[in-house]
Amino acid sequence: MALINVAAREIHCKIVYYGPGMSGKTSNLQYIHSQVPKDTKGELLSIATETERTLFFDFLPLDLGKVRGFQTRFHLYTVPGQVLYERTRVAVLNGADGVVFVADSQRHKMRENIASLQELAENIKKQNKNFREFPVVLQYNKRDVPGALPVEKMDEFLNPAALKLGWQRYEAQATSGPGVFDTLKAISKLVISRL
Amino acid sequence: MDPQLTSQIVPVEEVRAIEECLSVLAENTGGNHILLLDKSGQVIAAHGDSTRQDVTALGALIAGTFASSREVAKLLREKDFRQLFTQGVRENIFIALIEDQWILCIIFNKGTHIGLVKVLTKKATDELALVLDRVREQQKARDDVLGSSFRTSMEDTIDLLFRD
Repeated sequence: MALINVAAREIHCKIVYYGPGMSGKTSNLQYIHSQVPKDTKGELLSIATETERTLFFDFLPLDLGKVRGFQTRFHLYTVPGQVLYERTRVAVLNGADGVVFVADSQRHKMRENIASLQELAENIKKQNKNFREFPVVLQYNKRDVPGALPVEKMDEFLNPAALKLGWQRYEAQATSGPGVFDTLKAISKLVISRL
Repeated sequence: MDPQLTSQIVPVEEVRAIEECLSVLAENTGGNHILLLDKSGQVIAAHGDSTRQDVTALGALIAGTFASSREVAKLLREKDFRQLFTQGVRENIFIALIEDQWILCIIFNKGTHIGLVKVLTKKATDELALVLDRVREQQKARDDVLGSSFRTSMEDTIDLLFRD
């Protein structure tokens, strides 16, 4: 839950990038870190294995400065995507105000995307939160990969109209940037609307 | 709306009560740095070494450690681990949970005995639990605190800063 400190006039919000292994969660944070103004960002902290796979989380604090007298901060986290880190994901998800679900557009990754999204729903419910009301934005990453699944097909699996979840979704190429900030803007505004 | 999704608003007078509590704890234990965190890793209050630039990262890491220990507790069929102690060469860290919402973290050096820290931290967590109860009870409407035009201004700022 977001924290509003009235004495210090500060607002803190936590956004978690969730999704299967190698879908591009860390790449999102790296791209954001490379592009936002220097006085807006803190250090990008990564707890990774020797092979640069996320072990615990990546953490990027963003300070948006004073808005209507309130210093506003977004803290971006990623979870480790590999299956064996399920419990670690639960830990990082703790207290999140919103989630960006980063799906891999490669055809053979759809099963992993679905499993990861189902796990996310379970983990949000375990925090006694209503998953239907929880702020989620979808990002279909790696749109530049040859043979990427059409977005309509991905919608069928991850954002089916019948479920009426109404999630916004963005196409992206996190390593080079397209879609990264559209996703970040969408989740930030969604989280702010729920303060 | 789901009550779990609403914000936690810490009023001015409660922040003062928290700061007073941290100040007393620092004085009595000789602690170098004391942090009160939300379980999501956000720093509610900090006391001590004002030159510390890494408080935000510390908050994220300590909350992560605690959340991780909670999962370990589940695997061991333990209810939860309410305290954690990390021993360093120069400095030690003692962390205690306040109900299921806040985390109190005290960083102290070798000159302070862990037993003293434990006893005084217990007293502080009891006091802070009362503050937390009051914060939960007196949730004000968002617009009373932020003003009704906050959202529009925030969206403008997001558009301005979050771009390639």
